[in-house]
Order: sequence, then structure tokens, then C-alpha cells
Amino acid sequence: MTTWKEILKDEIPPDMGMLIDTYEAQMELRKQGRLDEKIFAEARLRKGVYGQRYDNGQRHDGVRTRDLAFPSGEIVKGPDTLWDAPGMQRIKIPYGGLTAEQLEVLSELADEYSDGIMHITTRQDIQLHYVHIDDTPDLMRRLAAVGITTQEACGNSVRNITACTLAGICHDEVFDVSPYADAMTQFLLNHDDVQDFGRKFKVAFSGCAGHACGLVKMHDLGLLAQTREIDGETVRGFTVFVGGGLGTVPHQAKVLAEFCREDELLPLTQAVARVFARLGEKKNRNRARIKFLVAKLGIEEFRREVEEELQTVPQDERHSAYIDTLSDFTYAPAKAGLALNGAPLPDGFDAWYRSNVYRQVQPGYSAITLHTPLGDFTAKQGFQLADIARKYVGDNIRLSVEQNIVLRWVADADLPAIYRDLCEIGLGDAHAGTIVDITACPGTDTCKLGIASSRGLTVELRTRLIEKINLLPDAIRELKIKVSGCFNSCGQHHVADIGFFGNSRRSGNHKMPHFQVVLGGQWQENAGSYGLAVGAVPAKTVPDVLEALTERYVAERADGESFQTWVKNLGRKEIKAMLQPFMKLPSFEDKPRYFSDWGDSRVYTIDDIGVGECAGEVVSLFSMEISKAESTQFEALLALDDGDYQLADEQAYKAMVLAARALVRTKNLDVGDDYNTIVDEFRSRFYDTELIYDRFAKGKFARYLFKRHEGLPERVNEDYAHQIIDETQLFIENVHSAEQRINGVIVG
Amino acid sequence: MTIVPRRIGIKFNLEQPPKLQPDDILPIFQRWIQDHTVEGMLIDVIDYKHVPDGPGIVLIADEADFAYDLADGQIGLHYVRKRDLPDDLESALRLCLDRALEAARALEAEAPNDLLFDYGCAKISFLDRMRYRNTAETFENIRAEMTDILSGIVSATVSLSRAYDDPRSLFALHCRVDGGDFNI
Repeated sequence: MTTWKEILKDEIPPDMGMLIDTYEAQMELRKQGRLDEKIFAEARLRKGVYGQRYDNGQRHDGVRTRDLAFPSGEIVKGPDTLWDAPGMQRIKIPYGGLTAEQLEVLSELADEYSDGIMHITTRQDIQLHYVHIDDTPDLMRRLAAVGITTQEACGNSVRNITACTLAGICHDEVFDVSPYADAMTQFLLNHDDVQDFGRKFKVAFSGCAGHACGLVKMHDLGLLAQTREIDGETVRGFTVFVGGGLGTVPHQAKVLAEFCREDELLPLTQAVARVFARLGEKKNRNRARIKFLVAKLGIEEFRREVEEELQTVPQDERHSAYIDTLSDFTYAPAKAGLALNGAPLPDGFDAWYRSNVYRQVQPGYSAITLHTPLGDFTAKQGFQLADIARKYVGDNIRLSVEQNIVLRWVADADLPAIYRDLCEIGLGDAHAGTIVDITACPGTDTCKLGIASSRGLTVELRTRLIEKINLLPDAIRELKIKVSGCFNSCGQHHVADIGFFGNSRRSGNHKMPHFQVVLGGQWQENAGSYGLAVGAVPAKTVPDVLEALTERYVAERADGESFQTWVKNLGRKEIKAMLQPFMKLPSFEDKPRYFSDWGDSRVYTIDDIGVGECAGEVVSLFSMEISKAESTQFEALLALDDGDYQLADEQAYKAMVLAARALVRTKNLDVGDDYNTIVDEFRSRFYDTELIYDRFAKGKFARYLFKRHEGLPERVNEDYAHQIIDETQLFIENVHSAEQRINGVIVG
Repeated sequence: MTIVPRRIGIKFNLEQPPKLQPDDILPIFQRWIQDHTVEGMLIDVIDYKHVPDGPGIVLIADEADFAYDLADGQIGLHYVRKRDLPDDLESALRLCLDRALEAARALEAEAPNDLLFDYGCAKISFLDRMRYRNTAETFENIRAEMTDILSGIVSATVSLSRAYDDPRSLFALHCRVDGGDFNI
């Protein structure tokens, strides 16, 4: 039977295809119980294949916890994560940039492998939910064929690199950061120096200091565009922020470098990554983000470490080569820019124009925001939107961190027509960026860590606010609301005017869903400051709390006073007093509806909370690398079964080199990919020193590698293929044993 | 032998828009999980009613999804079989029709005078673009076999037409029973 692998073999870049093949082989090894579940979990996460709620095989149905008897039984894809349980596939969309063709493929995948819905995340990714792991390799191949990867979308690595959606068209930017985000994405993807983190690492670019789009101050690494006059020339570069982050303990990023020239950007980033890998926490995942390392060392000491590390970063032509290609990064509008021509405007156009249209710096063009409620849109809308994009803007599509879609380079004269077309496909809603455009993480809908229903609450708030949006004063209309289902801040509640995050309280013998109220966070100035937690209220009172807060703000605020300033002036004590009436907990008998969450008829429970995979397990670099050798050896076996002895030999040889590399990298991180260098390093460090020696076989297994490295035998036949695969197996076992003797415990 | 698609969907539309709102369906589906009202390993309910023309409220099961579906401007019960399909097309279609009918009848029982399905017509979709691209050729290749199978199942003539012209859409057929229905 034909497969996607065969159909797409000429369209998938070889390196991407190889990574997917390796992952598929790892899946098979895990199913056979030959790959440790923790190592597979991290390998899976680094492919963006994430767990979902109830994947431990337990679900509370409102009366009692029931077992979910998945057909594959006890086979797991990670600790307490059953193989058959539906999961989430995260798909990286660097700086949110999409082409019409990519949007079509994403739509196909949503149809065929998910539930027909694409979800836009606060990191400009796309997520598909309820995906079976067995479908993920083909899903990845179909993406790879149109230039999209899921590599390192989750796990302890560099996540999707984000950037302003208005980059390149903004009135206030210093310069367009898009090509820099693109270059850094390509440089860091699967880079050796980002494989040994204790936790994830998030990078963002911003073109200006004032707006919110890039949010650089809440990132592990934030890059803010700057220029300087040096020797009479305008030089591009970045202010580099490090150690920001939200999560349970929000940190504002510190300035690592006031100005880093563009040609120094990639080596500096590499040095930061190496310091994080070397000194970052590996055991306690709750303190493993780089923000804790920066806080522990202090920014001055961290800076010194980075400067010292910079001296050890190997020369790499890619550090500056991308600069020559920056001018290739151009935009191709579908049409010439023309002003609105006074033709009659459709109903609703004015309101939509006010909130959803941004006049570009390029005359005659605008960018428009498509408000997608909760970041969700259907596969059918995806196809229709691809048509609209081709008709009006070409491939100038971006996803935003506010979970919306932005079409750039719309000729102003086309605005009425595109508005009509968008209304026809249900994407013509006004009020983008207003109080109804609420950001929400998945929460208890699908997330294992969710405590309360962030999406359920968002739907309720949105429904109520839309009814009265036209009556709201501007001061309220422009407020930002963001909702997280727990304290981990995926909904970015810390940087909203009004944020909520889920928690629970007990009333009598029952648990009641609650939301902590967080007020006065700053979205502008790249997430300039974080809000104050002022108290937890029952989930069912949140709409009333919102009304009380906003009404009082409008009634009491001084002329032009921002919400942040009003909150600050009012003070935590007074705000808490205002919330007090809402905090009273009724009994289950008095108000049973308080004991169900929004959008959920079950009596509330926290029994469904599982262990999050956000961080992944902390797995040693050696374990990850040797698992690649093992899966490559497995591919050699498959080739042998297919009678392709040449390929079996190639894969077996490669597996031995990968195993040697795994061991070498425990001593020399920069060994690189060259086979000769790897074998030489392995020989000098482990064979000549006898560290690799087996107690009985001595250096025999290592010599299998040396023999094959010297060249192929005259005849590559079935017997030979059998033999080299067996030798590879023995060599891999030998490397495992040696690593344990030399370095101690493997899995952290 | 005709290759069975990876996934098969069957949708029965309501005869007319009901008084019941999508919000009312969510507790029904959650109760179905408690009571195991329909066959399958029922896992969870997800609410997409905020998405225009979308899947509405979806009851997720291991082997299939049941959606109170709002797509194409038609409210209906959309059953999507995701795994464990028999490897001959007739058995696969029989299985999907049985399960879709079971769910539709169960939903009717929740609001007997309000939720009434049109069983005279079903939309059958093949969620498998590798084997079934939405083209006229695909339709012609499978038309006779599908007609025979469906007519055999309902013991009446079934006429088929393509549901969508867009080649990017899923391959889907409107299947109408002449003088009868699928509710056998």
C-alpha cells in the first residue's frame, strides 16, 4: 500500500525526513519495550507530540473516577501516559509566518488526524488536539513537505521563536525583525548546544520598545531592535534581555547587552545557550528555567559567564552568513497599494475598520486582524482563508500571540471587499484587540495541569461582553483580559489589565473552582510590568467581579488615568475589600451551580489533574543521543528485512558513529558531525585510554567501528548486513556500559 | 477490493432547527459518558460552539467522535470513526451507519419533540486524502460500489452526489434513499 513517506519522498528535505524516520523508529522501539519510557517521552516532546488530560487512563465522570481501558493496554508513551490516549500535536510556526499552501496543509491535517479544529497558541504555534500518536509521523511528513517542522516544539529545548506580527510594516519599528527571527530559528533548530537544557527556552524579537507585540521582557531571551552610529555608519543590532518569564514566579528580564551587533547575535545566543546548559538546574524542574539561573548568579556574574563562554564558541560561518541574505527577505503583495476609493461600505465595516485594521507604514496598504475566538478556527475556514489570502495578500499571513490571524499587505481599496469575504467565512468579527478578544490557554479542556476551565470562563465572559460592547466606554473597551487554567501562565495572565488564573477552594466536603484575580499587568512596552494577585473568587462569580471592577474604574478614574495606575493608586487592600463580597463560599446545598465549572456540567473535582509534560523529564544529553543511535540501528534492521543490504550497512555504520558521538559529547560538546573527527576523538579519548574496554572483550567492540570506518568490504550481501548490525548492537551496548562506568547515573 | 479509508464520517442532519441550544447538548454528552449511552470508549466532551460553522459540541471516544455538528449551516449528528474499521468497505459502512444511527436515536430520545433527524439522507465522508482525493474521478471510481452497498443495506435505491466541489475538501457524498431511509 502507498504511504505518505513514499508519496512525499522528493518533497521532504532530507534532514527533516531523517529526523522523522528516527522518531518513527523510536516509536517502534518504545512499543517493543526497548526504549526507556522517559527517554522516549523527551524524544516525543521534542517532536511536539504532547500529552493531554486523562492520558493516564483515568477520568472523573462527575460521579466517580473511571478507568479508560485503551486498546493498547499498558504500553506507555511516557511515564503514566498511555499509548492510545489522544494527545496534542504542537506545530512550530516561526514568528507566526504562514503561506497559503501551508495553511491548506494544516487544514488537511486538522480534518484527517484531529477534530477539524486548528488552535492558535500564545507562542504563534498551531496545535491540533485529540491526535493519536500513531498518526504523528505521517502528519509530520506532510508538514515537512511544505517546510514546516514540529522539531523542538515542546520538551527541554528552544521553542517557537516569536516576533511582532507587524514586523516590516510597523510605523514605530527600528527595523524589520522577521528575517532575524527566521535566521535564528534555522540556526538553533536541532543545534548541538540546545540539546542539554534542564528546561524549555523561549526567544522573542521585537521591533520597538513601546508596543507589546514582541513581549521581549517576559522571555528567556528577548531581542529588541536597535541601531547605533559606529564609525559614521548605521549599524543594526539588538538590546539583549535575558531571564524573563511568567510561570508561577514571574521575572522581568534583565539587560544582558545594551547593544549586540547583528553579526554578534548568533554567537552571543549560542553562548547564552551553553551557559544555560552548563550551569542551569537539571534536577529540580521547578527551578530550571534560565530566569532562576540569572537570579541566582546575578546579571553581572551571568554576563561574565556568557562573555567567557563566548570565547569558547567554535567559529561558524553561519554566525554572519545570514546577514548577506537579509535583503532577500522581502514581501510580495498580491496587489498594488491603492487608497480607499469612496465606494459604498458594507454594514459593520466602520466598527471593524476601527478595531481590526492597521494602516501600514507602506502607503496604500493595511494589515487586518481576524479575530478567532479562543484561537480556534476550522479546517474549512483554513481553506477559505487560503483562497482569500491568495486573492488579496499572497503569502502574507501571520499568527499572533493574541491567538488571532493577521493578513498583511491588503491594498486599502480592497478593504471593503475583503471584509465582505471574511464575514462570509465567519472571520469578519470586529473588536480584535478589545476587551472581548480574550486570550485563554486550553485549561481543563485538554491540559493535564488545568485546575479550572479557562476556555469555559472565556466563552462566558466573551458572550456577555459582546452583548454590550457598543455601550462600553472606550476606557473599558480597550482593556486586555487574559485567562490561564492554572498558575503556570500559559494564558499570560500576568501581563493583562485583568488576568485570571485557575485554582480551587474547599467548601464543606466539596471543591469549588476558583480564579485568582490579577490586576494591573502591562501588555504595552513589551510586557513592561506584571500584575498584582488580589484574591481568589469562585469561578461562577468572575463575570460579576469583572463588571464591578470595570464599573468602578470608569466611575472613579481620573481623566486619562490608565487601568494600571488606577489599580496602583487604589491599592491591594481596597481592591481586596471590593472583592470580599464575591469571595464568600456558599454551601453545596445552597448553590450547587458554584460547584460546577464553566462549560462543564460535572460536579467539580481536581482528581483529573495529572503530571504536566510542559517541562518534559530531565533526561541526560547522553541518553537522548544514544537513543538516536539505537533507533538508527533499528532502521538498519528494517532495511535488512526489506533486502536493502546497502542501506542496512549505511544505517548500521551511522548508528555506530552516533553511539560514539554520544559518548564523545560527554567530554567534548563541540565534536560536530564529521565522521572522521568523531571516530578520531572516540579513539583518543576512550579507546587509547581503554575507558571503553569491556572486562572480557577488551577493545573488540570498538574495533567494529574502526573496521567499518576504514571502508566497506568488497561484497555487501545479506550475511554481511546481518553481521554489521549485530556488531552495531554490541558496540552500542558497550558504549552504554562505558558511559555508566565513566559518568554514573544516566537518567536524571 | 476497494481500500477502506482511514476514517469514515456519517452525518444525519436535523429536519429543522431545534429549540435546544448547543449549550444544552454538553450536559447530555457528559451524561452519556456516565451512563455509557452509546457504544465505544467514551473519553471527554469538548465545546467548539464559539466557532462558526464548526464541529459544535464533540463527544470524544477512543475509536470515534460524536459531534453535535454545526458545519455547512446544517445542525446534525456527525459520527467519525477513527480506528478499528473492518477491512472491507461494506462492513465498514455498516458499522459506521449502525453507530451513527445509535447516537442519533439516543439524541432524539433526549428531546423527543424537538430533535428529529432526517434519516432519508446521510452525508458520508472519507477522511483520507491519500486514497480518496475529492475529485470527479474518485467519485466515478467508487460510485457503483457505494450505491450497491448502501442500497443493499437499506433495501432501497440510494442515489449519490458529491457534497463538495472544492478538490481540497474531504471526499464526501450526499446519499439519499429513494422512498425510504437509513433508519433501519
